[in-house]
Amino acid sequence: MAMHTRSVLDPFGWILQMITGFLLLGFVLFHLYITHLSSHEALSYEQVVLRLSDPTIRAFYWIFLVAVAFHAFNGLRAILLDTDFGGKNARAVNAITILLFLAATAYGGLLLIAF
Amino acid sequence: MVGVKGWFRIRGVSLQSLAFSLQRLTGIILLIYLVAHLSYLTSIRLGEEVYTAFISLTVRPETLPLDSLLFLVIFYHAFNGLRVVLNEFGILYEYRRALLYILAALAVICWLWSTYVMYIYVMG
Amino acid sequence: MEEVIFNIRRFNGINSYWQRFKVPVKRGMTLLEGLYYIKENLDGSLAFRASCRMGICGSCAVRVNGKPMLACETQILNLKAKKLDIEPLDNMRVLKDLIVDFDDFFKKHEAVKPYLIRDDVFYSKPVELLQTPKELKEYYNFTLCIKCGSCYSMCPAASTRGDYLGPATITAAYRFCADSRDKGKNERLEAVSGTNGVWRCHFAAECSEVCPKKIEPAKAVQKMRKSAAGYMIKKIFR
Repeated sequence: MAMHTRSVLDPFGWILQMITGFLLLGFVLFHLYITHLSSHEALSYEQVVLRLSDPTIRAFYWIFLVAVAFHAFNGLRAILLDTDFGGKNARAVNAITILLFLAATAYGGLLLIAF
Repeated sequence: MVGVKGWFRIRGVSLQSLAFSLQRLTGIILLIYLVAHLSYLTSIRLGEEVYTAFISLTVRPETLPLDSLLFLVIFYHAFNGLRVVLNEFGILYEYRRALLYILAALAVICWLWSTYVMYIYVMG
Repeated sequence: MEEVIFNIRRFNGINSYWQRFKVPVKRGMTLLEGLYYIKENLDGSLAFRASCRMGICGSCAVRVNGKPMLACETQILNLKAKKLDIEPLDNMRVLKDLIVDFDDFFKKHEAVKPYLIRDDVFYSKPVELLQTPKELKEYYNFTLCIKCGSCYSMCPAASTRGDYLGPATITAAYRFCADSRDKGKNERLEAVSGTNGVWRCHFAAECSEVCPKKIEPAKAVQKMRKSAAGYMIKKIFR
C-alpha cells in the first residue's frame, strides 16, 4: 500500500535530528551569547562586518546553517508525515522538505561567499 | 480522529503530554522565525543604511518582550529536546518526571538571566 | 448517600449530544456500576461495552474528564468530582454512545504477527521450549496488555494519522521480538518500520501514563525504534 512505504530517510532522519540537535545546543547558545549577551555594540554594522570578514567564522556560520536547516526542515517533514495528507503524499513531502533544506544551505552559502 | 487538536490536548493529560505539545509548538514557531531570520540576513548585503535601519526597528525597548519570549521558546525547545533524546534512548526513563522538572527549570533560569542581560543592554 | 452527575456524550448514529444523569453513589461503587445503574433505572438505551468487571478483558475503557480509564476499576468517589464528563475513547470511530470501532485497532495488531514464529514446528514431535526466569523478565511486563485502547486514545500521532500502528500494536510487536523463544524478529521489524510505524512516535509518553496495567508502551516503542533503525540501516549494506 502506498501509505506504508519504508524509507531509509526515517532512521537517518531520526539519528541526524538528534545529532544536529546536540550541535545546535552549542551553536545556538553561542550565537545568542555573541549577538545579544556579550556586548552592547555586537549588532552594529561594523561589528557584524568584522565578524564576517574572517573566513573561519564564515565557514563556522555555514556549518551552523546546514545543521539548523536540516533540523528545521526534517522537523517539518516529521510534522507533515504525522498527518493523513502527508502520509498519502509521503514522496512529495520528502522531496519538498529536502529541496527547502538544499535551497536554504545554498542561498546562505552564496550569501556568505559573496560577502 | 481528532485532527491537529490532538497534538495540543490540555484536559486529562499529564505533564509529559504538555511537554510534547510545547515542543511541537515551539518547533513550529522557531521554523517560522528561522525563515524570517534567514531572509533578514539578506539586508546585510543591501548596505549599511538598510541594515542599520532594520536593526533600529527590531532591537529597541518596545520589542524587548518579544525578544525575551523568543529566548524562552529557544531555551525550552533546546532543553526539552535534550530530554526527549535521553528518553528515546531509555536513559533515565524511570525518572522521566524528575528529568522534566529539572530541564524545564534550567530553561526558565537561562531565560530569566538572558532577559535580565538584554534588558540592561537595551535600556542602557 | 451522595449524588454524582454523570454527563455522558451520547451518539445515536446521527447526532452527538450530552445527557446528564444523577447517580446515587456509595463508597466503593465503580464507574461501571454507575453506568449499569443508569441503564437499569434511568435510560435503558445507554450503550457501553463491559464484560469481566475485573480489569482483565479490556472492554470498558472510557474517557472521564478527558482521561481514559477502565470503568470497572475506577471508583467514582476516588475521582473527587461532583460532575463527570464521560466520553468514548478518542481516535476511533464512535458507533453508539460509549462504544467505538475497534476493527482497525485489531487489524493493526494482526499486521505485526503477534504470535511466536519458529522454523522448527513439528506437530508430530512436540518440543518444550525452555526459558529462564531472566529471559521471561525481559518481556513479561509487555504481555499484560488487555487491548483496552486507552493508550491509542491519548496518542497525538494517532489523532492525525489514521494508519499509525499505535502504542499497543508496537508493544505487542516488541513483546514477541523480546521473547527468547521467538525467531520472527525481522518480519515484525518490517511491519513496524514503515512511515506509519515507529517513526511517528515523538515521545509524548501519554500512553505510559494512562495504561491501566502500567505496561509502559512508550518504553516498548522506543526499543522497537532503536531496533528498526539498526535493521533498516543494515539492510542497505546487504
